Amino acid sequence: MKRIKAVIIKEFAHILRDPTSLTIVFMMPVLMMFIFGYSINFDLENVEAGIIDLSDSEPSQNLVKKYVNNNYFTITDLKADYPSPIDAGERLLKSGKLKEIIIIPADFASDIKTQKTAEIGVIIDGSDSNIANLVYQYNERIIMDFTSQFRNIDDILKIHTKVLFNPEVKSAFFFIPGLIAILLVMISALLTSLSISREKETGSIDLLFISPLKSPEIIIGKTIPYIFVSLIAGGIILLFARFWFGVPIQGNLFVLLLFSLLYILTSLSLGILISTIAPSQKIAMFATLLITLLPSIMLSGFIFPLESMPLPLQVVSRIVPATYFLKIIRGVVVKGAELRHFVAEGTALVIFTAVLLTVASIKFSRNRKRVK
Amino acid sequence: MRLRYLVKKEFIEIFRQKELLPMLFISPMLMIIILGYVVQTDIENLPVNIVNLSRNKAAYRIINRIERSPLFVVKNVYNEPRDMVDALKSGKVKAAIIFRDPLESTPGGKVPVPYPEIQVLMDGVDSNTSAVAAGYFNGILKNYILSDVGKLGMSMPVEVKTLIRFNPELKSINYMGPGIVALLLTILTLFFTSISIVREKEQQTMDTLLISRLTTLEIYIGKAVPMGVIGFIHMTIGVAVVMFWFRIPVRGNLLYLVLAAVIFLCTILSYALLISTLVSTQQQALFFAWFSMITFILLSGLFTPTENVPGWLQFIVKVNPLAYLIKVIREIFLKGNGIEYFYRDLLSLAVIAVVIMGVSLLNFKRFIAK
Repeated sequence: MKRIKAVIIKEFAHILRDPTSLTIVFMMPVLMMFIFGYSINFDLENVEAGIIDLSDSEPSQNLVKKYVNNNYFTITDLKADYPSPIDAGERLLKSGKLKEIIIIPADFASDIKTQKTAEIGVIIDGSDSNIANLVYQYNERIIMDFTSQFRNIDDILKIHTKVLFNPEVKSAFFFIPGLIAILLVMISALLTSLSISREKETGSIDLLFISPLKSPEIIIGKTIPYIFVSLIAGGIILLFARFWFGVPIQGNLFVLLLFSLLYILTSLSLGILISTIAPSQKIAMFATLLITLLPSIMLSGFIFPLESMPLPLQVVSRIVPATYFLKIIRGVVVKGAELRHFVAEGTALVIFTAVLLTVASIKFSRNRKRVK
Repeated sequence: MRLRYLVKKEFIEIFRQKELLPMLFISPMLMIIILGYVVQTDIENLPVNIVNLSRNKAAYRIINRIERSPLFVVKNVYNEPRDMVDALKSGKVKAAIIFRDPLESTPGGKVPVPYPEIQVLMDGVDSNTSAVAAGYFNGILKNYILSDVGKLGMSMPVEVKTLIRFNPELKSINYMGPGIVALLLTILTLFFTSISIVREKEQQTMDTLLISRLTTLEIYIGKAVPMGVIGFIHMTIGVAVVMFWFRIPVRGNLLYLVLAAVIFLCTILSYALLISTLVSTQQQALFFAWFSMITFILLSGLFTPTENVPGWLQFIVKVNPLAYLIKVIREIFLKGNGIEYFYRDLLSLAVIAVVIMGVSLLNFKRFIAK
């Protein structure tokens, strides 16, 4: 215990002696939070759409009004603006200026009057399937609103849809907590990944090698000081999420702290492992950024739903720590979930930490033997 | 042709970095195949719970349709009242659908109405998924009613005939695949070129280069060309994978893609050289390159549309070369547009290229002069 304490004190001295790196560690997540937080946004409003009203009747104008009077769409009247609206619509759709064209045929009014099924045509730019899906639904909602004045088939089946946890369906509620998970693993792993490789570069690792310290003691002693640094960085990120991006924290802060601590430990252990393998700081840093950031963004469910991935990738996602913490932090922060909801996820993080630290110790003592 | 020797030397230097070599050749293939599968945002296999309190046959039929749909995976069907919020909180299911029999007051007492009442509880945390899932669910219900509608002798007042252009099956890979090709042109060229000069600085071999008879411009070009060639090879691999592995149709002319790629490479390489002359260690170079890469990618419209980005970030979108490249590549692949649709984007890209090359070259000259 006393020996571990010595390593901890030594490592703290390392941290405090290098205030530039420390500032970077605290500034970087804030900067990344800004860029990520503002650039990742799925909310779709004011979709550019063109309308061609060939019916030009009272019902058709009512429908056009429904399209104009909401913030789903920004409507251009193609018939008024262009001599050949169909061609113009085609051109604008191809250039990406319009995402949708709505055509109300000439017999729209008479069909409505005679209670036949009136048809309208909608052409959607499907390039981005996500946007196309949303645009398709905006149409449905507007048409439903329009037909509510008639005897309606939707009356037969009553559907009440209730959106829980995020009633205004803001995508920030989804991305910002996720971002915390990604930044936390990145910073924590980066911190420790440089710690042993730095000693390798400066040659001071030999002093550690010949010391009476046992390998696990060195590994643990080198990990502990960074818990505090990571926690402070995590706190800064959380404050930004809460007060700058306005994501309310529904759950218990203590539960959040507990799980964050676990996740930080896992991340630090990952960094230590990289550090024992990488020959230089350059490679350690590069490897850490690659190993933490790419899988954490791509294979954790941060943006891309895990459910729709092929099985091998789903299996891989199970060994990415961020996958578990993402579920936890979204649950606790946005949904107000409690400790008991995430026992399995927490256990997974504990197992990760144990495995990573063990492998790092083994790796370290093997290096040590080779040197001796 | 003194330049040739410098280019040859640079290639040797690249191939000599054994630890980075596998990244250079295996990573583009791996990247595009893995990313191709990862970035599909199609919503499938959404886990749902169902509570069926209805004795109505219609409820069974609708549940049956939900179970058969590839979009939903029904985890549990409960036949007694149950609290669904807990399962939603833990994230085990993304939606809960509850069927009930409402009672209708008739003169003879209360009787069940022919259709169940349906309540849908959605996990709204992922706003995108929940919106799309709700839409799909409504679609299932609507189809069910439509199949039943003949029996009721009713018709829909208004029907929307939707035509989806450019990507009729709405497969997200068709949109993402070409974007990833643009990524291949960016990532490794940026990283490798950004350390190229600072490495010589660190190893103090820069002086050898300076006392040679090479002109500044020759050194500059010699540093840029090798990674440009490698970037081009990566892009070709990427296009091949996208076309033959993911079977994404190419509707436009690939020559335009080559043109856009060349302009883009000029931009990104001179940007990387600018980083390389400004920093003092390879580590700093990598860090800057990495940070630029993240910014470029996030604000390029690759994953999320850039229309919603706030004003001050719009500026970065406007000067982001990757944003233009991705837009052009997508138009070529998906829409089969000719140059008349994107010559403006190409021009903007060219302007950015000229500006960055100018700044970078000036800085390089100053660096050499020192």
